[in-house]
Amino acid sequence: MADASTGVSMTEDELHALVGRRFPGGTRTIEHWENWLLTDCTGFTQLPDRLVHPIALFHVPIQGAGTSIAELFEISGARGAGSVGLDGYDWEYFSPLREGVEYRVEGSVIEVERTVSPESGGVADRFVYSIELTDPDGVLAARITNHWRIRR
Amino acid sequence: MSGAGHDAVDVGAAIPEWSMEFVDPQRMKTMAAILRDPYEVHWDHEAIRPLGFDRVINQGPLNLSYVTNMLMDWQGAACVRRLNVRFTQPVFEGDRLVARGTVTSVDDVDAERRATCDIHLDRIQPGKPDETVLVGTAIIALTA
Repeated sequence: MADASTGVSMTEDELHALVGRRFPGGTRTIEHWENWLLTDCTGFTQLPDRLVHPIALFHVPIQGAGTSIAELFEISGARGAGSVGLDGYDWEYFSPLREGVEYRVEGSVIEVERTVSPESGGVADRFVYSIELTDPDGVLAARITNHWRIRR
Repeated sequence: MSGAGHDAVDVGAAIPEWSMEFVDPQRMKTMAAILRDPYEVHWDHEAIRPLGFDRVINQGPLNLSYVTNMLMDWQGAACVRRLNVRFTQPVFEGDRLVARGTVTSVDDVDAERRATCDIHLDRIQPGKPDETVLVGTAIIALTA
């Protein structure tokens, strides 16, 4: 039974079945207001030339791919405060992102792994997804690979 | 944007630090709305107390943004080519953080000069050693 600090139970077969699951895909345009607020949250000065703050590569790929943080929690079996942690990000920028450009966004779950703590016996699952953004000319603009850890 | 200029960038050079003097929970709320992030540890004190904390936890992307700000302040707003980071400790509202980095190599790639940098974000605590909350590497175009 999961509590506030653990995700829902999931067999190892169910976990591995997630690999290859594709997100619906779609397009995403970053608006000026959104970039302004995002940049303001980081404490940085507003950027010139419609440049998007690089940190947009967290939510823009997720939303553009037709999914959401909530749905990723559901897919991975995360539930409640404390059940999910960030292991890390690998973000590649092939060209700077700009406001007002419609990016095509596609991605999938690429890797999972069950780990058991040798000390506590606690189970946690690595959940890794990758999403790519291409510009209107079909040129790859950015790729993200995000690593989450779901405590069971 | 200020920058040292790539002529001055050598292996071993320290990147000018960038500080977030106070991690503001109001910014976390705005960020949660932008991200459409339902994870209540970022905005609900009642949800965080059962986990043994009395301050809400900053979003990972915001932690990374402080390091990114350091890089953009150094080499310009379009300088970031790659970020590869691990989160080692949670960051809480009210924390004071400093982003730091060091150049580990300089190479010519795709017709531009790029620096690979070790990067980290440290929590500054009075009377205690600095605590690293994020570590990783960045690849930066030397554009300044």
